[in-house]
Amino acid sequence: MAAAIQTEQLSKTYSVGFPVRKKVLALQGLDLKVEEGEIYGLLGPNGAGKSTTIKLTLNLIRPTSGSVKVFGLDPSEPKARAQIGFLPENPAPYEYLTGVEFVTLAAQLVGVPSGELKSRVSEVVEKVGMGTAAALQIRRYSKGMIQRISLAQALVGRPKLLILDEPTSGLDVLGRQLIRDVIVEERKKGTAVLFCSHIIPDVEALCDRVALVIGGKNIRTGTVSSLIESDSNQVELVIDGAVAALDEKLRPHVKQLDRLSERVVVRCEESATNTVLKVLLEANARVVKLQRTKFTLEELFIKAVKESGQAVGSSMS
Amino acid sequence: MSAFNGMLALAVNGFRESRRNRVTVVVYLFAAILIFAATFALEMTVGTFERVMTDLGLGVISIITVVLTIFLGSGLIPREIERRTIFMIVSKPVARSSFVVGRLLGNLLTSFFVLVIMAVLLIGQMVVEGTPIRESLVVALIGIALEVLVLSCVSFAFAAGSSQFVSAVCCSGLYFLGHLSTDLYKFADRAKSPVLGFLGKVAYYVLPNLDRLDFKGRATYADPTPWSELGGSVVYAIGYSVVMIVIATAVFERRDFK
Repeated sequence: MAAAIQTEQLSKTYSVGFPVRKKVLALQGLDLKVEEGEIYGLLGPNGAGKSTTIKLTLNLIRPTSGSVKVFGLDPSEPKARAQIGFLPENPAPYEYLTGVEFVTLAAQLVGVPSGELKSRVSEVVEKVGMGTAAALQIRRYSKGMIQRISLAQALVGRPKLLILDEPTSGLDVLGRQLIRDVIVEERKKGTAVLFCSHIIPDVEALCDRVALVIGGKNIRTGTVSSLIESDSNQVELVIDGAVAALDEKLRPHVKQLDRLSERVVVRCEESATNTVLKVLLEANARVVKLQRTKFTLEELFIKAVKESGQAVGSSMS
Repeated sequence: MSAFNGMLALAVNGFRESRRNRVTVVVYLFAAILIFAATFALEMTVGTFERVMTDLGLGVISIITVVLTIFLGSGLIPREIERRTIFMIVSKPVARSSFVVGRLLGNLLTSFFVLVIMAVLLIGQMVVEGTPIRESLVVALIGIALEVLVLSCVSFAFAAGSSQFVSAVCCSGLYFLGHLSTDLYKFADRAKSPVLGFLGKVAYYVLPNLDRLDFKGRATYADPTPWSELGGSVVYAIGYSVVMIVIATAVFERRDFK
């Protein structure tokens, strides 16, 4: 069975500037595979190539080299795009149409049969919690309402692949919860979701797998837990009743030492674990916990960006 | 989904959007100008009221529809790209050519709607004043409709690959040049330099010949236009428009939406 999205050595170069044209490498040989029915997170700083990847998947731009397939089809084929629902970052629907009219237009464009139009539109409008507000012209909507109606237009074609670019940015708690609920519900139906967000707790909570994209390349891919664990080569020890004099003996072997009232928490390289344990046992200290250090996805993200030499939040282009 | 259904949905919604946007205001403005002009003309003219009314009415209709057509045609695609509305439309299973034609049809519906409203107002005003409605007036209105068709397609051809400003400037330039095309041909014919002569003739054939679609002068003097001449103008306008649509879709097909 073909993957929902598969890219192979996908590259995109933009020419910018006038009169002297400068080349900007937005993507450099990106390999990515989003399976059916999974929520796949794209993480990366500004200008990393996330939006470029999405645009290539939707045929909004064409690759300079490499390929991208949607359910085995080229995105330039309407059949491929018929299976996609897309919510862009900061969506701007036609402002003089009402919410219902805009979602109806989207339904017509994805080929919903005319007999089903009304019921399908009502269904998604209710799902995103717009209710009677959908009868108002979009220019009267708040940011949250625009986000909701744009999500409705993405869902109205019952897509097999949902692409969401920063779906929760700028939303209040209820709006974020609604979007999260919709994503989980869609996954239950077997829809693949490509989820692109700067809000790392959302990515951590929702995604089955995550790709870290930096400088137009896929730096790391895996489940959130595997990424966090694979990156950790440090060990954390919690020691009970250690006297202050022990600190000096430990310092040469540990990376971090924190004294918390009765307990001491030390972090050391995995290779130094035995040495540290030996020092502790010789001093009759009681080790109450020994575990591999766990990073959050956010820590991992910042570390990966720093390693790549790109400033966090900087733009390449 | 058939390409036709997609185009139709885009056209209908484009028309709906424009109608709510600014078109009504333009129509009301025209009505006010027309009523004022009629009163003014009655006061100022002796015996030539029909001529002044026809001339003034057609002139205002022509100016308003041309400005509206260039404004709508030049701004629609660039604005959608700038606001990124286009991301949600072109990513659907609709061909880019269907998008261009659908949006163009929506624009044409809007311009024709305004034209019809203004024509009805003018004819209504003439009926109220007891001025006869002649065939030449109808022919002149058809000519304005053909001009709207050509200018819409020209503005889309420019807008498909450039900004709103560039498109509006180029389209306005072509409008004026298009009305000078007969003079351009005469100039090319009389030019001493063969290069200038050749370039002038090339420009004559490339630029839209809007003089061919302008029957306002004849309407003013109630001169009839042979139907064969009008038929030729219809064929010319449609042919030129088709070429412009082909250029617009070809440019739009190749465009990257960054």
